[in-house]
Amino acid sequence: MTDHYAIAVSGLTKRYGDTTALDDFSINVPKGSIFGVLGTNGAGKTTAFKCMLNLARADSGTTLFEGAPLTPALFDRMTYVHERPALYGEPRVIDHLEWTRRTYARYDAQRAAKLLDLFGLAPKKRVKNLSKGQQSALALTLAFVTRPDLLILDEPASGLDPVNQRNVLDLLIGEAAGGATIVFSSHQIGQVERAADRVAILHRGKKMLDGEVDLLKADEKVVEATFENDAPSANGLATDPSVRRIVRAGRLLRAFVRGNSDDVTRHIAALEPKSLRVLDQNLEDIFLNAVAASDGDVAAAAANLEG
Amino acid sequence: MSAIFTVDPHSGVPIYLQLIAVVKRSVALGVLAPGEQLPTVKQLATTLTVNPNTVARSYRELERDGVIETSPGRGSFVRANGSGSTANKAVSDVAAAAIDGAVREAKSIGLARADVAQLIDQVLDRWYPASDGREAS
Repeated sequence: MTDHYAIAVSGLTKRYGDTTALDDFSINVPKGSIFGVLGTNGAGKTTAFKCMLNLARADSGTTLFEGAPLTPALFDRMTYVHERPALYGEPRVIDHLEWTRRTYARYDAQRAAKLLDLFGLAPKKRVKNLSKGQQSALALTLAFVTRPDLLILDEPASGLDPVNQRNVLDLLIGEAAGGATIVFSSHQIGQVERAADRVAILHRGKKMLDGEVDLLKADEKVVEATFENDAPSANGLATDPSVRRIVRAGRLLRAFVRGNSDDVTRHIAALEPKSLRVLDQNLEDIFLNAVAASDGDVAAAAANLEG
Repeated sequence: MSAIFTVDPHSGVPIYLQLIAVVKRSVALGVLAPGEQLPTVKQLATTLTVNPNTVARSYRELERDGVIETSPGRGSFVRANGSGSTANKAVSDVAAAAIDGAVREAKSIGLARADVAQLIDQVLDRWYPASDGREAS
């Protein structure tokens, strides 16, 4: 029963020699959602997209679009923008639009004019004379003028100035409000936090976490206590399945909790702390926690960051 | 209209909960009048640059709480019938959340229950002086 998902990715794995670039990657993207794939550089975001679209052959795993494998019939309704778009240098902006018009039945000329204006792209300028940011904007323009139902965008806002980054987010939001499904990658947490209703966090080829952004925020808490003297070891907490990580630093104790934090709060309160509070976690905190839970060195770095 | 809604997407508080709180507060303060139309999901999502499904979730919960009503094709409106109770409910929700936050904060810095009660009494005396039973705003 996967047809209500626009995209259902199951167990995608891709190895390059000894390196596993993508390890058992699975996500479900409901129709009409904006799905953010978040990860540091080299986390496997581009590999994931290429494998989903058969642009790279996965060693194992499947990707279903609206319940079926990818077929050319879908190409007219979907678009993929690579993080380094392949555009021709000599031709002009308007030439690229003309080729797109001839290729796509759903080409929208009014929209093309609006987007050129929005991004400040001069129609008669040769592409080689555009800045890197303007080239990215042109690639996005070419994607959006075809009025796709399904957009897969690899780092769509990279290289753009802050105004145009916001313009891109607004475009994504407008498309999703109109019923389109969008999957986009970013290493900028703020963009994902704003525009995406769902997120997957990739780290070193593995999915650390995925879910609805708002529910993750509602779910992830930090119980923070300070003590008169050094924080007690709180060994009992380590066995609590909702506790993902415990950080002790001098008189401070932090327990990173997923799910109901009441038990953990009671447990820590019984240790008679001087102060005790439950802190919300934004997506950046959740990202760092997910990464920290996976490898110790980053855990230390994240603990320092938080301290 | 959309300008009265603000959210902080980078807060740890889910965006849909922030939106619910801001609408309830607006109803409570009369910034949103009974029967007044709310922006569409698309308008509000675009104005705030937040996800449309997130806005839609806030509207669903506000409807469930009886603060707004949505009729297909027409849009979402602040509930007109029983608007007094809707607004009062919204006021008390907002006030309860603020008081809860203040007491939690007091507890977190280690104040004893009696100390907190004394603080609350002082605040009550300030805003509800004995000679004046009316609510200050």
